[in-house]
Amino acid sequence: MREVAAPLVVYGKRGNADVLTAVDEAAERLGLHAGLALAQARAMHPAIDAIAEDAAADAALLEGIADWCLRYTPLVACDAADGLLLDIGGCAHLYGGEEKLVADLGRRIARAGFAYRVAIAGTIGAAHAAARFGEPAAYASGNERDILNPLPLAALRLEPATVASLARVGLKRVGDIVDLPRSPLTARFGVDLLRQLDRALGQEHEPLNPRLPVAPYVAEQRFHEPIAREEDVLGTVEKLAARLGIALERRGDGARRIELTLFRTDGAVRRIAAGTSRPLRDAQDIRALFTERLAAFADAIDPGFGFDMARLSVVTAESCPSEQIGIGSEDAGELVRLVDRLSARLGTSRVGRPVSLDSHIPERAAATVPAQTVKADQGWDAFRRHRAEADLAPRPLRLLTRPEPIEALAEVPDGPPLRFRWRRALHDVISAEGPERIESAWWSEPDAHAADNRARDYFRVEDKSGLRFWLYRSGLYRDLVRGDLANAAPPSWFLHGTFA
Amino acid sequence: MIEELRQRLRALQKTTGLAPGAAETVVPFGIAALDDALGGGLARGALHEIAAPGEAHLAAATGFALGLAASARNLLWIAEDMALAENGAPYGPGLDLFTLQPERLLTAAVAHKRDLLWAMEEALRCRALGAVIGELRGGALDPVAVRRLSLAAGASGALALLLRAQPANDASTAATRWIVGAAPSTGQTQFGPGAPRFAANLIRNRRGPLGSWILEWRDQDERFILATPAQPVAAPPRHRPHQKVA
Repeated sequence: MREVAAPLVVYGKRGNADVLTAVDEAAERLGLHAGLALAQARAMHPAIDAIAEDAAADAALLEGIADWCLRYTPLVACDAADGLLLDIGGCAHLYGGEEKLVADLGRRIARAGFAYRVAIAGTIGAAHAAARFGEPAAYASGNERDILNPLPLAALRLEPATVASLARVGLKRVGDIVDLPRSPLTARFGVDLLRQLDRALGQEHEPLNPRLPVAPYVAEQRFHEPIAREEDVLGTVEKLAARLGIALERRGDGARRIELTLFRTDGAVRRIAAGTSRPLRDAQDIRALFTERLAAFADAIDPGFGFDMARLSVVTAESCPSEQIGIGSEDAGELVRLVDRLSARLGTSRVGRPVSLDSHIPERAAATVPAQTVKADQGWDAFRRHRAEADLAPRPLRLLTRPEPIEALAEVPDGPPLRFRWRRALHDVISAEGPERIESAWWSEPDAHAADNRARDYFRVEDKSGLRFWLYRSGLYRDLVRGDLANAAPPSWFLHGTFA
Repeated sequence: MIEELRQRLRALQKTTGLAPGAAETVVPFGIAALDDALGGGLARGALHEIAAPGEAHLAAATGFALGLAASARNLLWIAEDMALAENGAPYGPGLDLFTLQPERLLTAAVAHKRDLLWAMEEALRCRALGAVIGELRGGALDPVAVRRLSLAAGASGALALLLRAQPANDASTAATRWIVGAAPSTGQTQFGPGAPRFAANLIRNRRGPLGSWILEWRDQDERFILATPAQPVAAPPRHRPHQKVA
């Protein structure tokens, strides 16, 4: 346990010295302040408790609080290392006005153990300045000038060097420069000064960069009594999905990616996303999707003392004319629903469909792609045409992920093997078909003579007990005879697949 | 009285896929000896276990399962990651040669046996799938889970195939249990291997007698043919009037 009684200071390296970056109330009463050298502080008060700063943890904490602030507005941005910007335009009335929103925010933040200063103003610059340097309050839009005039110039988010040089000519407060002629100021202190001033005064627009993309469709529900049971969460999902469905239908959209955000009473925020393979609108379908997503978590949803708010947002929407839903066979819909359910539970990449790729190298000729993303044409018609034209030799039913080296004995150097050993078992070859030569992709590979990038001779062989294998010899004896030094490694045998 | 009880029994059996099925609820082999033993063909809406005699024969067992499932419009193949890494994943161009258009195939890779059984059950409840193949590398199965699979298959009428890399002798509610390995093909000449042959051994059949056959897959006909005459390993059970062998 840390000794709580001792005054606490946090220090970090600034330049070459350890400098205090934050102090607690007890330390402040002793006369310590941020910016003081750690050695000096220790000399003044040997009993202080000093701990090193952890910028990453600070940032993570701030992001956690930013997530939590999503309960008020979807537009939340981090402001410097210690502040948050919330765009509450159009949200405040949900709480009965700006004062009530601030009161609610303050009560919850204080309960979580944080000290805070909140200011509401018409521009980002004015709110930033008022929260840090002025009187924290809710200011009406339009009187930015009154807020800013008495504040020091540092409130304008300027470089410290600019503030220092302004101070040298006697300009210390925002009010000192507001009415000065603009061109001499720009000539002497750079464009940044007036741009920041204009932004703070609302004469130039400053956009807010939210941390998370804003979802086009959002529905949320607050609970007077926190909910904790999974069924309740799913019931809420269905209710919210029904509300989203109406909005989606009005604009002819369907959801492709949906996110459920659960706000726990203790401030933790849980975000759960689910993808779909076609635009979705039906509340039942969306509920089914989240049933699987929640079931995939081993520890369920860990509600703690319950969730006091839930939000369902459509992160990605895709246009889907209403007649499109319902058309097509009953089967197709069922299948898509199954794919979505399996993908939600097992993971999108685990549920796949085979597609044919344009390559003559066997392991690259086909791939399994997520079934949710696959298009109608999987390339197999092209493959069939190619097979008919090129009179392609049979391909194995199962292809090993990686060709396995085998010890093989061949009668003649370029012929099929007589017997080979694979996974410690000896197989006597009774009949063989081949070779089918597959050249390496020498035109695309940087190292065309690498051992695994040589021409391959494929054989289809059957052993005594009827097992059928697809073997290949990598490299040609011809190259050895020619004395080609780059290909000096002797050919080697591999097993690549098994036939039925 | 007896007739009434029999009727009740039939109603109960219907849900487990054990009742003698009508023509459209079976996958016929088109081989009289086999179809007779199975009561018309492999019953849809029931679970069938197909095991390879050893891991090396798994490709043959896979081929047999795919041959049975080939008639389905859509099929789902579920396998554990380990099985795919060890024995290879289904290869599109090869499936296409086995008369199974890859467009009809859906694959799912699962991390645990638990997920495999869940996914199979979920898929069997979907009416759009004609067949569901679950590949299991080893280990025993929870009989309750297998029973659930049988019930799910019975409800939707899909063909449920459990593909196992090793024969198991755990209790099971599967309608049939097969051991299928590769058999030497006829074309053992310099022209290469002939049409694939399977040594199919029916070791459990809830509807009739057992038997073992050598089957050959005919690409052009998209069906199995009998390579040698059947050699029944056990006589049909004598007194089972309600499971009459046609």
